[in-house]
Amino acid sequence: MKSLMKVLSAVFVLSMLLTACGGTAETPVVPATPVTIIETQVVEVPLEQTVVRLSGWASSPSETALLESLLYRFSVENPDILVKYEPITGDYKQVLLTGIASGTEPDVYYIDIFWWQELAKNDVLLPIDDLMTGSGVARTDFIPALLDAFTYNGITYGIPKDFNTLGMFFNKDLFDAAGLAYPTDDWTWTDLKATATALTDLTDPNKPVYGFCTAPDAGRFPAFVFQNGGTVMNADFTDTTLDSPAAIEAAEFYTSFRTEGVGAMPSDVGEGWQGTVFGKGQCAMVYEGAWLIPYLRDQFPGLKYGVVIPPAGPVGEGNLIFTVAWGISANTQNPDAAWRVVNYLTSEASQKTVLESGFALPSRISLQSSDYLANNPNSAAIFNGALNGAQPFFWGAFGSDVNDQMGKALERVFKENQPVADAMQQAATALRNLMK
Amino acid sequence: MENKLKRKKFKEALAGYFFISPWLFIFITFSVFSLGYAIYLSFTSYNLLKPPQWWDFEGYQRVLSDELFLKKALPNTFKYALIVVPLQTIISLILAFAMDQKLRFRRAFRTIYYLPSVTSSVVISLIFVWIFAPQGVFNQITHLTLNWLDSPATAFYVIMGMNIFTTSGTLMLIFLSGLQDISASIYEAAQIDGASAFQTFFGITIPLLKPVIFFVVTVGVIGCFQVFDQIFVMTAGGPLDSTTTITYLIYKWAFRDTTIKMGQASALAVILTLIILVITLLQRRLIEGSGSASER
Repeated sequence: MKSLMKVLSAVFVLSMLLTACGGTAETPVVPATPVTIIETQVVEVPLEQTVVRLSGWASSPSETALLESLLYRFSVENPDILVKYEPITGDYKQVLLTGIASGTEPDVYYIDIFWWQELAKNDVLLPIDDLMTGSGVARTDFIPALLDAFTYNGITYGIPKDFNTLGMFFNKDLFDAAGLAYPTDDWTWTDLKATATALTDLTDPNKPVYGFCTAPDAGRFPAFVFQNGGTVMNADFTDTTLDSPAAIEAAEFYTSFRTEGVGAMPSDVGEGWQGTVFGKGQCAMVYEGAWLIPYLRDQFPGLKYGVVIPPAGPVGEGNLIFTVAWGISANTQNPDAAWRVVNYLTSEASQKTVLESGFALPSRISLQSSDYLANNPNSAAIFNGALNGAQPFFWGAFGSDVNDQMGKALERVFKENQPVADAMQQAATALRNLMK
Repeated sequence: MENKLKRKKFKEALAGYFFISPWLFIFITFSVFSLGYAIYLSFTSYNLLKPPQWWDFEGYQRVLSDELFLKKALPNTFKYALIVVPLQTIISLILAFAMDQKLRFRRAFRTIYYLPSVTSSVVISLIFVWIFAPQGVFNQITHLTLNWLDSPATAFYVIMGMNIFTTSGTLMLIFLSGLQDISASIYEAAQIDGASAFQTFFGITIPLLKPVIFFVVTVGVIGCFQVFDQIFVMTAGGPLDSTTTITYLIYKWAFRDTTIKMGQASALAVILTLIILVITLLQRRLIEGSGSASER
């Protein structure tokens, strides 16, 4: 019965395709054709569709639309699989973990580099090495640092869907007005400091312009630690190195901008994040990822800006890698169908769509030499950041505490004028107490 | 005969249980079971990903030696209750007293004072975030340049002020009904005896309101110890943990940390329950012990 249905539906789809093609030959209005095909699938095939539930956070409407368009294309090419997209707004990790605890988690879901290892340690993720070999996907197809980030004890648990690093965004108008040359990829800390000082203009109390934004944010500051040859955690994540001389020096440099009046926290100018401060022209330079590009395009369309890789510190280049992967639940009823979805979403064609949307950068190594990157120096700067001393944004099992303590150390320096060395020491001590 | 009566009583009881069964079901699933499970979890180590492991008192020990709990959450919660409860009680009592007079438009006023209480606390929190933003209304009016919610010195007080603003309306209503329960003849007698308005208030109104005051203070204390949504929306426990309360810490351990500490969070929830229980009992002693008006 089932196979009969299959044949019937295949015949039906085929006939629709033929009629559709026939229509194209007569009238050259191409876009009308796919619509007919979709209708046949929705009506004809549901009996044998495998359901795959897929979840991720919804960070912006345009990003959700991008994923939905990829899933739509998947549904056209794979009528036997019905993907149910269940975006989670609000606290993603909380919803996901309670789902896992009650055995109702989606089949396919986002796993963030920052906390996914807890899932692997507790065996709730499906190892995907065999599935990868089964469909001819090689580890070498992906940027090594990204796939390694989702490998635990030699087993692969997720395919990175994209990544981001930090780039230094600079406001071209403010540079032009001050008569300064635009930053280049060879900049160092000295250039950054000198230019930030030259660009700062506090004459208008209602719209002060600062040279450089220094948020008390654990997602920005560690880049400076790396540039100074330091680390946040030791190699096996059992101890923090926030009180090492290299980290303290980096913190001294990072906080000196605001202390000397040439840098600001976003809250100093009444904003929640530095992207808005940059868009409004109140910070001439900020460290942000590619997510700022579509934001600026939507919110500040007239802004003229450029992106270069972050200036090198005394020891060299340093950057952070943010990445999210598609993971498959170990409880899934249909591992093969789930894998086909993941494989499609991380295929070269899908990754190209992601890249061209400008949100994030593709994890496929083959897209490194794409035309898009050649024509978009801003995105290319973020991409190249990954190749220049970048380390994953991951601090082990106490990651959220490490982030908290780093943020608080900077806040104490900014808001309570605590000496930098004391602040970092206090953060390290607090962490050691927690990790005991 | 007696047997018949017994059977009738049994039938009546059965009918009674049948009628309350929907409520009973909800009560048992969502209150009794959840409470019992939380107590069980407080003796386990549980990260949501693997079944709970028995842990004895390790969770409690960790709570009681946790720096964030001892240095921030516990003192912050007490500070919050000590400031908010007296203020909101006094303000709502004054409001109720004013609303009890024969004022013009008092119905309109009652509605206005009660409005914040029926509005979602998340909505009010967001409005307060805007009012107290650096370029917000409050700074514009007062010509200050403070960043209220981003400064450890002020953030907690803004949240306290907001809580007083929202709860006073409900408490006013409770006081109002208490005031209207006091028989007019007592006031008349006082008037004949030549008591001043001041004497009447402290000699008659307050003592007769004692059960209501006890209720309002108890509800207020419990509410203050459980303050969460405003903090979650307005400051997320920051800046520098200055607004981290016990309930926010429970949330942080249970859901926010990279390593989920559901057991430790449950232990803290049990400790919070014990704290509230002890304080409520103490209060009852204090208020009932100091005077008449005990209903029992």
